[in-house]
Amino acid sequence: MSAVLDLARVSVALPLGGFLSRARLPILMDVSLSVGRGESVALVGESGSGKTTLARAVMGLQAVSGGSIALDGQAVEGAAGHARLRRAAAMMFQDATASLSPRLTVGYLVTEPFRIHGVALPDPEGMARELLAKVGLPPAMARRYPHELSGGQARRVGVARALALKPRLVIADEPTAGLDVSVQAEVLNLMADLRAEMGLAYLIITHNLALVRHVADRVVVLYLGRVVEKGPTAQVFAAPAHPYTASLIAAEPRPDPRQRRMDLAIRGEVPSVLRRPSGCEFHTRCPMAREVCRVTAPDLAPVGAGRQARCHFADQRKDQQGEQHAVEHR
Amino acid sequence: MSFAVEETVPGRRGIGRALLADPMGLAGLVLVVVFLLMALLAPWIAPYDPIALDVKAKFQPPSAAHWAGTDHLGRDLLSRIIWGARLALGIAITSVGIAGAIGLVLGLIAGYGPRWLDSILVLIFDSMSSLPMIFFALAVITVLGPGTTTLIIVIVLVSFPAYARLIRTQTLALSGADFILAERAMGAGAGRIIFCHLLPNVVGPLVILICMDIPVVIMLEAGLSYLNLGVKPPSPSWGNILSEGYNALRQAPHVVVVAGVPLVLATLGFTFLGEGLRDVLDPRGAGRRWG
Repeated sequence: MSAVLDLARVSVALPLGGFLSRARLPILMDVSLSVGRGESVALVGESGSGKTTLARAVMGLQAVSGGSIALDGQAVEGAAGHARLRRAAAMMFQDATASLSPRLTVGYLVTEPFRIHGVALPDPEGMARELLAKVGLPPAMARRYPHELSGGQARRVGVARALALKPRLVIADEPTAGLDVSVQAEVLNLMADLRAEMGLAYLIITHNLALVRHVADRVVVLYLGRVVEKGPTAQVFAAPAHPYTASLIAAEPRPDPRQRRMDLAIRGEVPSVLRRPSGCEFHTRCPMAREVCRVTAPDLAPVGAGRQARCHFADQRKDQQGEQHAVEHR
Repeated sequence: MSFAVEETVPGRRGIGRALLADPMGLAGLVLVVVFLLMALLAPWIAPYDPIALDVKAKFQPPSAAHWAGTDHLGRDLLSRIIWGARLALGIAITSVGIAGAIGLVLGLIAGYGPRWLDSILVLIFDSMSSLPMIFFALAVITVLGPGTTTLIIVIVLVSFPAYARLIRTQTLALSGADFILAERAMGAGAGRIIFCHLLPNVVGPLVILICMDIPVVIMLEAGLSYLNLGVKPPSPSWGNILSEGYNALRQAPHVVVVAGVPLVLATLGFTFLGEGLRDVLDPRGAGRRWG
């Protein structure tokens, strides 16, 4: 199987500043993930877990300190590599309005990718109309300026622009942030339709688990810049192998109060990346932490088919959960 | 989902209307337009040749024939003031325009370019603006000799660092903005980002600063001409008229008054216009008014 995007042990570390200081603060550590052709992969985690940094690293907006990124099996290196990647992949930013250049019209902005990559554009106005129509916006929108758009319209313009050059991969950073529920649904349906129509692969960055359940084939969970669990969405949600994943799922609002799991409630705040906990980095907040967790860091180990988790008790946990699940559904 | 397409779009026209609604800005605009027309139409509206001598008619007070009187060589003062507007505005707009263009380009490069280039450029801006203006002007004039070109060179050198710094600060603030990251993510090169996306968003404050600097330059030109270091004498510079009038202050006080009035009005006009533009364009300003 050839993956569109392949990240192998990607690390990002930011210089800590200070004259001649070589100290660096690790933000992402050894993140490996792949997005297959036409596949939709979700990257989840709390604020500060490094989700957005990862997206920026992929697009070459953030220097990578280790590991490698490959597009269609070919390593992305140097300016030429980034140019190739930026042609084949597009990114949708979290703040759709702020990511549109404020003094230019929507019509210019959606056709800008053609101009950037020197692709022939015989009829810019016609192309703008066509792209806007694809995302359900009227042609008159082409003459508007970004500040005149609503959040949902700006998001659609972002989608239209991302699709201009028919990319194979779209990286969407919080595609539903700041939208009304009804507009969220419209944007998600639009993204799903376009995926079916154009064979797009998505890397969706979010902390909205409902969204993950709705659109993702596979899910990757980040905690403090490390992958703690990954696997097919349905299986991960049914029986999370890592207590952090379990806590995230338990923290989701539920209509039925009897289904809330207080025993899995996550405690405290995310530790600072400046002072990472010893051993397993999640032990400070883990409801099932034991002595070994304080001392030894677990590895990302396989848990069943196509799944991996970074927990000493992943296997145990999965069995337990499986039983519990069965009990609940009886 | 339906879209209201026919609603009116508040755009650039709103800015002009807001400026007209501001009495100070309007006064400034009117004064500036009057002086610009004076400068442009000088050959047609000046009643006499500004350097034609008529020694017999020297120091005449204002009269029907000479609305503003004559000077020590019998030249018509109104004509000299009108031609002086052409000289004053010509020098001010040319020099500030060149300085603004240089400042804009260097500021954008310093703000968006590599760190080392930024350091070098900032060092240049800082050392240029640490020089005291009048002494620097005197030094350049000593080397190049007085004249209009020298004056323009002095003004450009003295004023571009402030413009460059303003643009650099704004560029730095914008270069981490989402829309710049989005452009980079689409593969846009530095040239496209600087000229298509940064430039339109940083020129606004520069226009205001330039407008408010024009009176300073007019005063500098008048001051240097008054000291006989600027425009060479027969030319009708306001500073020259003032200087010549000062020598004959007791005999003919009207000369100084007539030369002083346009200087004051032009200065006020550009300052008011600049302040009006600032209030209208700067969303953070106290006098916030959007169309």
